[in-house]
Amino acid sequence: MINVKTARLAFLGGILVFVSTIAILLARQFSLGPVRPAPGFRTFGPADAPIMIEEYSDFACGACRAAAGKLEEMIRVYGDVIRLQLKHYPLVNIHHWSLDAAAYADCAGEQGKYKEYAALLFENQAKWGEAKEKPKEFEAFAGGLKLDWKEMQACSAAPETRQRIKLEMAEGDMKNLNSTPTFFVNGKRAVGPMQLMEQARKFDSILKAAHSRHVPPSGI
Amino acid sequence: MPDIQFMNRIKILNAIGLLARLAAGGMFVYAGVIKLLAPAEEFAYAIETYKVAGPALSLWTAYLLPWLELYAGLALAAGIFTRFNAVLCGGQLLFFEALLAQAWLRGLPVTSCGCFGSGSSNSLEYEFFQNLVFLALTFAAYRYGRGFSADAALEEHA
Repeated sequence: MINVKTARLAFLGGILVFVSTIAILLARQFSLGPVRPAPGFRTFGPADAPIMIEEYSDFACGACRAAAGKLEEMIRVYGDVIRLQLKHYPLVNIHHWSLDAAAYADCAGEQGKYKEYAALLFENQAKWGEAKEKPKEFEAFAGGLKLDWKEMQACSAAPETRQRIKLEMAEGDMKNLNSTPTFFVNGKRAVGPMQLMEQARKFDSILKAAHSRHVPPSGI
Repeated sequence: MPDIQFMNRIKILNAIGLLARLAAGGMFVYAGVIKLLAPAEEFAYAIETYKVAGPALSLWTAYLLPWLELYAGLALAAGIFTRFNAVLCGGQLLFFEALLAQAWLRGLPVTSCGCFGSGSSNSLEYEFFQNLVFLALTFAAYRYGRGFSADAALEEHA
């Protein structure tokens, strides 16, 4: 028979388990875990920029294509006050070639042409996105940009490349992503280009607040 | 009249036990939390590099082990079923030591040991000797960990 002391200890242990489980689940919900940075070729802007944007995107998604244009415009307008980190979140269930596209884009990045390759993928989405067999466009884009295709093939098949993308997908899953593009602007979620533009309206006040933190009050 | 020297010795051992419990338990809590706040796949990839388990088993281990570390660490630090949890933590440490040792001996290219998440890692040798220190702390918690514990507090009130 369980004595009173054991029962009390078990109750206390149960409370600890319950409270710690809730704390972990809440911390996950609010994305309090360590942030895995995107590789250098997918990161733009200074590390101390007051506006940090993290984008989870899929090369075969139409809204991501629209968002890419908006982001470019935003960076052109605001310049160095924005730091952008692009992360892959290929929706592999509906976009059969997205994961490959992400891998090839990363491999183009290893050869210094991520932006250019990504732009071609978005521009020609309709051509490769719905292909039944492996799209020839991947090689054609590489040829057009004078990239080493053999090296890209080896890089795309390498476990490290696939692992990096799958970890970003897992990270997205932990953040409960269910559509692309999803942005985190200074940690605040925005789903789709419209919500991103909505957040962009607050950029001026973010910049004012950042500026007032850095400028010491005048006069004594 | 109780021997003062004996009483002082008990107090010192209780304090050592408490510190050992907090250090070993705290380390387990930290290791568990850091893994639980990152995708399980990250830890699973680290486990795979030890070449003792396939992807499916590695992923299941990555899902479950961090919770075990968290719960056992918390219970050890609080002194709930102190000896049982000290054995549980010690058992985990021995298991990690076996994994590290086989990877070290086989010269496996383990870039991240996965001990505290997969963000940063020391060499296998460093982690092996570090775990020996934690093993010693767990032993001290097992041997002298009853002082200032929930176990002792409830016994006094029983």
